[in-house]
Amino acid sequence: MRKSLIFALLTLAATAVASSAADERGFVSIFNGHDLAGWNTGACPDGFRVEDGCLVTGGGDGGPGLLCTAAAYGNFVFRFEYLLSGVGNSGVMIRADADEQLAWAKGYEIQLLAPWTPHRDDLHCTGSIYGHVAVTNRPDETTGVWHEMEIVCDRQLIIIAVDGKVTTWAEMNYVKSLRSKSLRGPLGLQTNHSGPDQWVKFRNLRLRELDREPDYVVKGFSSTDPRVRKLTHEAALKLDTLLAGQLCALLAEEDSVSSVGAKKALFDIVAAASAPAAPAPVRSSVIKTLQAQAAETESEIVRHHLEWLLGMLEN
Amino acid sequence: MTTKNMSNRREFLRKASMGSLGLLLLSRNAGAIAANDKVVVAHIGLGSMGNSHLRWFAGLPDVRIAALCDLDEQRLGRAMDSLKEIHPDTRAKAYTDFRRILEREDIDAITCATPDHWHAPIANLAFQAGKDVYGEKPLSYTPVEGRAMLGNLNRYERVFQLGTQIHAGENYHRVVELVRSGRLGKIHTARIWKTGGPPALGFPANRTPPESLNWDMWLGPAPYAEYTPARCHGTFRYFFDYSGGVFGDFWCHIADIVFWALEPGRLLSIDARGEVPHNSIADTPLWIDIDYEFEDLKIHWTTTPPQVPGAADRQIGACFEGTKGSLLCDYSSCEVTLDGEKLADIPDVPKTLPRSPGHQRNFIDSVKSRTQPESNLEYVRRMTLPMHLGLISFRLGRKLVWDDTAERFVGDNAANYLLSRPYRAPWIFS
Repeated sequence: MRKSLIFALLTLAATAVASSAADERGFVSIFNGHDLAGWNTGACPDGFRVEDGCLVTGGGDGGPGLLCTAAAYGNFVFRFEYLLSGVGNSGVMIRADADEQLAWAKGYEIQLLAPWTPHRDDLHCTGSIYGHVAVTNRPDETTGVWHEMEIVCDRQLIIIAVDGKVTTWAEMNYVKSLRSKSLRGPLGLQTNHSGPDQWVKFRNLRLRELDREPDYVVKGFSSTDPRVRKLTHEAALKLDTLLAGQLCALLAEEDSVSSVGAKKALFDIVAAASAPAAPAPVRSSVIKTLQAQAAETESEIVRHHLEWLLGMLEN
Repeated sequence: MTTKNMSNRREFLRKASMGSLGLLLLSRNAGAIAANDKVVVAHIGLGSMGNSHLRWFAGLPDVRIAALCDLDEQRLGRAMDSLKEIHPDTRAKAYTDFRRILEREDIDAITCATPDHWHAPIANLAFQAGKDVYGEKPLSYTPVEGRAMLGNLNRYERVFQLGTQIHAGENYHRVVELVRSGRLGKIHTARIWKTGGPPALGFPANRTPPESLNWDMWLGPAPYAEYTPARCHGTFRYFFDYSGGVFGDFWCHIADIVFWALEPGRLLSIDARGEVPHNSIADTPLWIDIDYEFEDLKIHWTTTPPQVPGAADRQIGACFEGTKGSLLCDYSSCEVTLDGEKLADIPDVPKTLPRSPGHQRNFIDSVKSRTQPESNLEYVRRMTLPMHLGLISFRLGRKLVWDDTAERFVGDNAANYLLSRPYRAPWIFS
């Protein structure tokens, strides 16, 4: 049972990476190549600088530190290129926190490391979830050349690929030390911390935010994990008009796991659209969606509920 | 009460309802039950609270229990067994439809311990049928229902007591005397709290209701939903379709002491924050904090105990903050803080309030004397209203401004829409 599940997940992971490798749809650059706009420099005032369109850390001003994105991300695909000096050492913190102490408590690090001496094991090498999950396929760790990394955070599933090959996958619930880790937070780039003459460069940082995609978000309602459901609820509220139709359709699901989550999210979307200060286009879009779904649904229970919700907007 | 008196009273009621003069007369002269006559009572809704009603009223010497009603035949049978244990010679009849009880001319009063969404419909129909009502908390499912109940109470000259049993206890009487004594100075803030949220109900599958349960009747005026046991007995209150969660359940017990002691003036605004649970099919608050602004007082409701000494030890409580001192209390205890000193009481504050003879005793006395009891409808409606408004603010996720005279929100149509809920056919709001 467990074996087959793991096999299924591995297959899924490999497919996801292989099919998405060439596909850049939905990706947005999170580093403009000129300055640190969009980044929270508070936690890392001196650790990073911009040079030739790259983010550079090390080479004299290393030490502990974290450069975090100003925004928090829950579910995403993050792609970037990195280049390590001879014995450079850095990493990407995911679902972290702008506060470096909290970042380590809440988040986890995807390691970027030269294959230095002493030899680092699979639990601490490039592509590992540092100290939590070892690589299953050790990547090419050659220093002095650019590599590409992809980090997929799909709710409890984490998949890491280097140069187009999956190195690591983890279902967070299976890993005791990851179970209570955060499912949402800023991305953080670690300063180089292997020595003052070492450095690390990043470029081409781009991110596809899955929580902005209605088809992805709506699937979260089928999870029974309360943390996933809460984040799905929050993501659904941000999508409001884009998701209202799918939520209406979910109400008719016999499975209460999906229908209850959709009902709560739909109520909050309608409540927000009913606010006196709500933008008129949002309000009329939600009204139109509810009307169309009420006319279409085969469930009398759903129709009554939608008509009741419409009363909040039409009065 | 004799049958003759009974029919005279009903006859009078019919005539009296044609004119207000008759109603005034009724309240003073007519219809009163002689002190030694038995009051005939029926119990509707026989879950754990309904069974408490049964035991309490069965213990009063001038009460005869004539009927029991539950739409779950198993519960009905068990309650009848309990009654027979207390009164082996009982001739009480069992009903699965409360309307058959309202049709009976000999019944003076009903008690109602159904789920919340049935409180107002049953009370309103009972008032129309000339019955007095001992109704469980909360008063109603919506504010508009509560207003209709008050209208019907007055229209039909009935007696109503809400099941806020703590009200009758010694502790609340003493707290009222201490707060009103002025020794704490002007009370500017009251904090009330109750810990806890919905239990882990999970995501159970829908089922066919058991043969013994009339599920459609259980839902009554609420929206139709497929049956699952978690929606029904014991845990219905964790669904907004029927109730208001822990908050709606306990508000009137603990807000009671604040409203009784301080009689707040006009309510101006309501601002709720909180979260629904994501671990189950329940949808009432996981936690809810609300700021109420009255013209002369601030009331803060929280799910976690406030940061005042002694509060953390209490799962439910109230704290009065005055210009000269403070008072912390729960159902059965009280701590006064004056000049940094903790006191269990201020002995020189005189005992001025008459004590209750017991909450059910007080109701039966009121039924006989045609006076309104200690937890009377006019008072409890005023006290319960902010609970409903807090839930509306919670559900809409925004601060709401309240017009206390019109009993409407200002500038928020959706909020006003939620002051009532349409009844599912064939039930009609009356």
